[in-house]
This record gives sequence, structure tokens and C-alpha cells, in this order.
Amino acid sequence: MYDLRLSPEQLEIRDTVRDFVAQEVKPPALDPTRLEAQTRPLLTGALDKAAQLGLRTLALSEEAGGAGADTLICCIVTEELAVGDPDIAAVLAQTSTLAPALFDRLMTPQQRERFLPAFLADDRYHLALAQHEPGRDATLGINYHRAETGDRSCKTTALRADDGWVINGRKERVANAPIARLFVVEVSTGTGGAGMLLVPSDTPGLRVTESGHGVRWQHGAYGDVELADCRVPLDNLLGAESQALLAEAGHRITQDAALNLGIGRAAYEAALDYAQLRVQGGRRIIEHQAIGAKLAEIAIRLEVARAATWQAAWVCDNPDAVAGRSLPDLPLASIAQVFASEAIYRAAKDAAECFGAMGVMRDMPLQQYVHDALVCLHSGAGTGEAKLRIAEALAGYRRPATAAALAAE
Amino acid sequence: MDFMLSNEQSAWQATARKFAQEEIRPISLARDEIDDPRETFDWEIIKKGSRLGFRTMAVPKEWGGHGTDFVTQALVMAELAKADSAISKTFSQCWKWSHLIAATCTDEQKRRFLKPFLEDDTFLLGKGISEPGAGSDNRLPPADDPKAGLKLRAERHGDDWILNGEKCFIANASVGKLFFIDARTDPNAPLRQGTTMFLVPSDTPGFRIGKVFNKNGWRFYQNGEMIFENARVPHANVVGPVNGSDMKTQQAGDRTGGDLFGDLELAANALGVCDDACEMALTLARTTKQGGRHLFEQQMVQLKLNRMHLLTEALRSFVMRVAWEHDRKMHTANAGLCMNLSTDVIQEVTEINLDLHAGAGVLAPRADKLVRDAMIWSHLAGDSVQRMKVTRRLAR
Repeated sequence: MYDLRLSPEQLEIRDTVRDFVAQEVKPPALDPTRLEAQTRPLLTGALDKAAQLGLRTLALSEEAGGAGADTLICCIVTEELAVGDPDIAAVLAQTSTLAPALFDRLMTPQQRERFLPAFLADDRYHLALAQHEPGRDATLGINYHRAETGDRSCKTTALRADDGWVINGRKERVANAPIARLFVVEVSTGTGGAGMLLVPSDTPGLRVTESGHGVRWQHGAYGDVELADCRVPLDNLLGAESQALLAEAGHRITQDAALNLGIGRAAYEAALDYAQLRVQGGRRIIEHQAIGAKLAEIAIRLEVARAATWQAAWVCDNPDAVAGRSLPDLPLASIAQVFASEAIYRAAKDAAECFGAMGVMRDMPLQQYVHDALVCLHSGAGTGEAKLRIAEALAGYRRPATAAALAAE
Repeated sequence: MDFMLSNEQSAWQATARKFAQEEIRPISLARDEIDDPRETFDWEIIKKGSRLGFRTMAVPKEWGGHGTDFVTQALVMAELAKADSAISKTFSQCWKWSHLIAATCTDEQKRRFLKPFLEDDTFLLGKGISEPGAGSDNRLPPADDPKAGLKLRAERHGDDWILNGEKCFIANASVGKLFFIDARTDPNAPLRQGTTMFLVPSDTPGFRIGKVFNKNGWRFYQNGEMIFENARVPHANVVGPVNGSDMKTQQAGDRTGGDLFGDLELAANALGVCDDACEMALTLARTTKQGGRHLFEQQMVQLKLNRMHLLTEALRSFVMRVAWEHDRKMHTANAGLCMNLSTDVIQEVTEINLDLHAGAGVLAPRADKLVRDAMIWSHLAGDSVQRMKVTRRLAR
């Protein structure tokens, strides 16, 4: 059995988001003044409208008040949004990925009662996961196929005091930090134990600062989070299985690949339009082999990348397909993401080339598509790192626990 | 075969290296980061470089220049570009058109224009070909569309020509003092037979500069619009025969392939950028630690460094061979092929450099700048067009 037909509902969602992007996102995103500026502020107006469409709560279960969308639909929506603006796509993908993990699975009924109504009621209520710390080296690199060296323990601490937790530490490059109303903060709780704490953004002592990088190297809204004597109630600790939240990152990888697809499609659509308008050499440039073949290669890269991404998304929703031997037990999401990022960077460069000199002008979007694709290529620790992780999976390598982790147990 | 440099060549190289490291490199990133494309330019660096000869080095000795050979020009280009690709391009744009003046202008024109060019540290040169509707058509004019190509019109009125029309993307437009302008003098003839080249000083009445383009790379380098509204140019400023602007490649005594030095210039510039990227990457690998050990210890890092260096050294060999051939007036397609190769090499090498930095978690704005500068190579004149043009030369 093999079926790639989208249901009428899936097609309707795609068309709705596509129309929305054409009417509400592209016009402000492609404004030449915005394109020329070094900084690219978040299009909050369009983001709010997207939230009103239900895209913020897309993956949250219907019982909890969301649309209960599966990973494949989320990928379709993320791609469509990223055609218009990768930052809006990234912000919504983050909130939409964290929402079901938190509200449907990890929160206790009491926690849900405290946080869910506000989340549902406010279109600007976004979620963030604060994990990465300065100096905490999470890359595989030299530790490929070896036990990990170095200290990777969480330096942000949460100590029990009277009726709550007191949190101190610093997190870097937190997605959605500047707009999040609720943070999930990874902390160590004293004797080597790790936990996840719910920290509302208005908690005294929590401060979000701009990530200190001139050039944008992430899609979405990022910031650093400082936690200085932040007090939250004891009940804000998530359950022991909250590490499963990390596994949700696997779902986010497919969203990143879908976002990348959207950037590639924007470049492709622009190049295809232009190649049918621009006349050089006595004919429309698409009628020249050099340009025709280039456009064909762009289309090939996009179609293959989408097939890999949709397969990875589908297997997230149908994990039994691996157990049932229909699909290999491989990190299919990483495979899709690596392929997509390499293929689409190439595709975006080719698309820009079709524009001649205009392909590098800041008041035109092509140079931005190339840059955005380059950001995808270097998201996380880059494709080289991802390939090492895939290689370990191919070999079935299981990393032995570090001495520090053993000592803590 | 002899790869030794002469004392004179080595001296130019050493001067360029010192100037690049001490004067160009310190301002390179700051200039790149300025938002307004008109403000990225800096006259001080031009004046300093000019005083060392980097503006006028290609003017023949008999006309008061330095008369450097092509090997020297390639060496200097690579040294300057290692510090900043766009700043060095501003200098070499003057070499390119110095070659054109030497090859095509009459002695009277040389007297009139080379003297002020040599005397004035702020005298920059440019050439206007591209127009909004004519880019690739000027390079590969289609046989089945004789009207294709540039439209800027020049009509004779007594001893003057009246120019009307528009150019775009023209290098040094907003800072140059003298431009070669290709204009259509016979609108009914195909491009090659109906175009004349004019010398147009920047203060010509009826001639002005429009906007300066806001590029994502080569930000120091000024590319601007030129607007001609009944601009009046004396007949004495016609270069070569009327309706014969193509002489620069067809009849010029010193035919060095492509655009008279333009291809070698770009390839040597790319080489300098690659040298910078290789040095950055090697330094990163040897100084940055991950998990307590240097990045250099990782096989994947070593393989990437290997790729960067093998491409760069292969490009160097080709660049120096083309320079050597130019000095012997050998007319081949090698300059064009070398420029095509340099496009591939500069992009791959700078991309690997960025990849190594990003993979190490080091956000190096300079690594990003090199990638943006390298992108320009694909957009200078239509990448496929450049390649096909060279191929057609091979088949001639």
C-alpha cells in the first residue's frame, strides 16, 4: 500500500495558508525598504493574523482546543508560511510543536488548568524551550563513535526554598525568547538530577536579551535568557518523563526541513516567473537551454527534498511503519533535513543566477533567499555534524554513559 | 619552466602585501557593514593606495605609468584582494581601462586623458555597457535578433555627438572621473556593427549619475546608474572608428582575451579571497578546541581544509599561467576559462570556510562577507553567458 493523496481537509488547509501568505505575508515581507535593511524585524501583524487562523495551536489536540494536526500537515503549513517569511514560519513551528508536548502530554491536570486557558485565549501567547547554555558544548564532532568527553551537565540550577524553586543561570539562543509568555527551562535540581521547569515570562528575575550576533544565523525570533533568583512554585516542575520533550525535537527537524522547502520554493517561483518574462538573446530566457536546465535542476532538488521531508513527517505520525518493516529504522528526519539544506542552498543560488545582477541586489528578494537557505544549511551544528549522527545510527552505535552521569546515578 | 619572480615583481608583491595588511584589512569589515551603498566608499584608502602606485600601475612607462607586467598585476591583485575583494577591485578597474586606453586611444587622446589620470590620486576610470534591457545581449548578441543589445543612442551634430539613454550597474559610476561609454550610433545595424565607444568625462553637461545599487557583496565597490539627457560629447572623444566599438577585441594590437585583462583580474581577485579563506580556516582549526581537542584533529575538518587548499592552489597555478601568457601576447581562451574556474573555486572555498566556522559555533562576520563577495562572481555578467562565450572562442 502506498498512497500520497492528500485528504480534502489537508488540501484545504494548504490552500488557505497559501492564500493567506499571498495576501498577508508577502506584501510586507517583500517591501523593498524592509529587504534593504540590515535588520529584519518580526512581522508581528502578519504573525498575529496567522495565529488567528489557528496556526499557533495547529498541532494541539482538539480536546485541548487546538486543531490536532499531524506532523505532515504541520510540514505543509510550515512550507507555505516560509514561502512568505521564514521567521513567521519558525515562530509558529516552535509554539505549535511545544504546545501538544506540554499541554497534551507533560502537564499535570493542575498545571494544564493554570496555563492552558491563557494560552488559548491570547493569540500572542508563544512558547519557548530554554536549553542551550554558554560553553556547554553539545556538538558531536571529536566524540564521533566515542564516549563523550567533557562536562555537558546543565549549569542552570533550581534550588528548593520554602514553597518553590529558585532558578539561577543563563540560556543562549532560545527560539521564541523575545515573544514567549511561557518558558520551559532545563535546570539541574541539586544532586545531579535534571528537570524541566515552567517559567512564565513575567517572573521577576527573568530577562530576555538580544542574542549578540550582527548577522542573522537563525530563523525566527531568538534571544538569550537570564535567570537571576527567579522564583516559581513547586508545582511548576514537569513530570519525570519531560525529557521526552527533547524527543519532540525530532518533530521539529521535519519542520526545519519544511521551512527550508518554503525558502527554496519562494526562490524557484521568483526565478520561474522572471525567466518567462525576461527577454535576452531574442527569446524569453526560459527558452535558452542554460536557463531551462537550471530551472529543471531547481525543480528536481525541491521535489526530491519534499518527498524526503514528507516521508520523515509521515513516519513521525506512523512509527509502527518502522516496526512493521515498511521503512528503515534510520533518522529519516535528519536525512531529509541534510538533503534539503544542501539541495536548496544550491537551488536558491541557481534561482538568483537567473536574475543576473539583480540577483545580488538588496532591494530584491533573491539574495535574501540565498542567505536564508545558507542559514538553514548551518542551523544547529551544520550538515557535517548531522552526517556524523546519521553514521552512528547506521552503525547502531550506542554511546556509553559518561563518568559524570554514572557518578550521578 | 621557471616559477621564480623577478626582483621587481617580488617588490610589488611585498608592497601590496604590506599595504593590504596594514591599511585595507583594518577597514574591510567596517566598510562592508555600512547600510547606505554610497557611504561604503572611502577616498582615504584610494589616495593611500594611489600614492603607492596601485591605481596607475598598468599604464605603460612611455606614458608615465609604472608599466608593470601582467604577472605583477596578478600578484598585486591577489595580495590586495586577500584583504578586501571590493576595495582591490576599485583599484584594478583602473588597470583594466588603462589597458584599454593604451590599446585603443590615439596619442592625442592619451595626452588629454592619461596625464590628468596619472596626476590625480582620486581619478578613477569606468566603462558603461549594461542597460536595464540589455545585459547578456551585449556579450552574446543573438544572430536572429539584430536589434538586441544596448539602446543608448548617440547622434552626430556637427563636431559633437548627443547621447541619450541610460546605463545600469556601472562600476565606479559614482566615483569615476572618466568613462568609456558604448552607444548605438547606427540603430539599424546589429550591435557589433552599430556601436561606437566614447570617452565621457564625469562633468559632461547632460550626463549624471542616478542611484548607487545596494549589493549584498562587494559593498565598497560602487555600481551606479548613468543617465544621459542630451549629453554633449566632442567627436574628438570617439575611441576607434565610428560603429566599431568592438575593436577592443577585434582589432586591438594587444589582445589578451576576454575583456583585455578583465578575466585575469577577476581570477586573481578570487585567488586573494581564497587565500584569506584558507588562512582563516586553518587558523580556526588550529586554535579552536572542542571537547578539549583542536578542531584540526577531526578527519572531516582535515578533508575540508584539504579541499579548500587544493582548489586554491590549482587556481593559483592557472592564474599565474594566464598572466604569463598575457605577457607573451599569447591569445587563447585560457583567461576566460580561468575566470570561469575562479567562480566555482571562490564560492566553494568561501562556503567551506563559513561551514567550518558555523560548525564550530564561531560566528565570524568575515566568513559571511567572503561568501557574499564570492556570490558576485556569478552575477557579474550572467554566469552561463560567460562560460558559453569562452567556449565559442575555443571553437573559433
